[in-house]
Amino acid sequence: MLLWLFILAAFLGLLAFLLKQRKQIRQIERLLDDTHARLERLQIHFSRFAPDDVVERLTEPSGDLMASRRMVTVLFADLKGFTAMCDHLDPELMLQILNGYFREMSQAVTAHHGRVTELTGDGLLALFGALEPNPWQAQDAVLGALTMREALVRYNHTLRLRSMPELEFGIGIHRGELLAGVMGNEELSKFGVVGDTINVASRVERLTRELAVDLLITEEVRAQLDTRFQLRAMPALTVKGKSEPLKTYLVEGVAAAAQPA
Amino acid sequence: MAQLLNEIEWDAPLVPAVLMPEWETEAKQRYGRSSDYLRRVAPVPWLRETCASWMLCPRTKLPVRLADLMFLVVSQENACRYCYGAARAHMRMLGYSERVISQIERQVQLAELNEKDQAFIRFCRNLARSNPRPAHAQRDELIRLGFTQLEIKEATFLIVNHCFQNRVATFLACPPEVTYERLGRSFLGRLLRPILATANRKSIPFPADFAAPEGAPFARITGTFAGLPAAYLLDRTLNGAFDSPILSRRIKALMFGVVARMLECRFCLPESRALLRAEGFSDEETDACLASLSSPRLDEKESAILAWVRETVRYQPSQIQKRTRALSQVIGTEAMLEAVGTAALANSTVRTAMLLE
Repeated sequence: MLLWLFILAAFLGLLAFLLKQRKQIRQIERLLDDTHARLERLQIHFSRFAPDDVVERLTEPSGDLMASRRMVTVLFADLKGFTAMCDHLDPELMLQILNGYFREMSQAVTAHHGRVTELTGDGLLALFGALEPNPWQAQDAVLGALTMREALVRYNHTLRLRSMPELEFGIGIHRGELLAGVMGNEELSKFGVVGDTINVASRVERLTRELAVDLLITEEVRAQLDTRFQLRAMPALTVKGKSEPLKTYLVEGVAAAAQPA
Repeated sequence: MAQLLNEIEWDAPLVPAVLMPEWETEAKQRYGRSSDYLRRVAPVPWLRETCASWMLCPRTKLPVRLADLMFLVVSQENACRYCYGAARAHMRMLGYSERVISQIERQVQLAELNEKDQAFIRFCRNLARSNPRPAHAQRDELIRLGFTQLEIKEATFLIVNHCFQNRVATFLACPPEVTYERLGRSFLGRLLRPILATANRKSIPFPADFAAPEGAPFARITGTFAGLPAAYLLDRTLNGAFDSPILSRRIKALMFGVVARMLECRFCLPESRALLRAEGFSDEETDACLASLSSPRLDEKESAILAWVRETVRYQPSQIQKRTRALSQVIGTEAMLEAVGTAALANSTVRTAMLLE
């Protein structure tokens, strides 16, 4: 009798142990599922700040990401006279105009395989060929800029209809080698690019004010374009940080066949 | 980044399923099946033949479990809603639980797989993604882990085979086989699991000792599959595609050139140039055309195809479906179907060329 009681107690003890283990496993599974869901949401949100492959590599166990040198075409756009405009316009209205402008410009850039990587004040930095190899990056950047030109005309029309001030931009495009990768420290880091190419694109954009035009490219970009692009050579001008005057070209337009299907 | 099934945006089908009685009979006689997918590509003979026969290519070297995993991993990587749904159902019918499938999709299972399987899955993803294509070192790693050269070659063909089917199904926005997907989850599916699994793994014999004749399109690439039925299948498809009269031979050679340029393939570009020389293009003309994606020698339809084909290398399904629909309006449905097939074939061929590195 005692033996049977002992066996029964052992059996019940074992059963209780197994049930407890099962409960614990279920809790761990729920925790794991929850962690997966959080990681997925994080990846989705994070992919708005950095390229997908960068996000994926950062979430892998090794988690390291070496910066790499890449040939990139940089497009820098800035609004002319925007600071002065801010002085006499309601900030909320200004923000509304600016957000609409960025939306239109980003769509134009994306449609031509570029990616807007920085919005600083009224400035916009877009990269072509930084995230994945793109043998047509110079052509894409110029086509993107031409689409931006068309988009600005349309956007100005809607601003005019709403009695809002119209916008005017300058775009500078340059091509060269850049270092792309995750930069920063444990507290703050971001995916970005560094190199003189960005500075030159920014200087070229500044030249659009001096030369009273809207879209300038450098010799390095021109060398990549074919004869369908209508270009006008501009006088070479000295820019900050360069000993030699910089040769630029105004992009007037492109033959219709260059537009993608 | 690989998406999950319910995250993939999918457009309405671009082409209807066409019931062609002769093809239906032929497909059932030769391949034992027809399907909604095959009916959508039926108007282009070489394309329907490829879609049907490549699905039944025998797997002789690779363990069946890895081939099954590959189907899921590649379809997910290519975000093909049609194939990915089918692959999930296929896995269910093979006895994988929903939980295990979900873990493979989320890559968490990778930690539990052995080093050999992990390396294999990485290879599948990298080749499907090709950003960049797997380097020689990655194949060396597979060899070190115990894979043979022939296994790697067979795996390569199976991956590019899935990439081909994924692209065709995605570009045409083939509607998911919901009945089949449901069957994978149903009681009936579980009951019939052994029969369905056998039917799903069915293959038919193709010659394994085939050697592409010199001068055949992309013969050097086909040659990498020597000793496998894949060599015969790829050569037959390339010949079928280039001999088809729907699109000009020159635009098809240019499409291969664009994909080769996009994937920085030093082996396929010379092959494209050689094909274009036979079409009267000098090497300078070819290079200028590939550099600008335009040529005064191309007509409006060919120019539209050339601008479109670069989008087929890396894409989001809903975007490529919109672009393909726009292309169809310019060049017509039949030409669009051949362009879709050619682009898918170019992507598979150029990915295969990494075996030459």
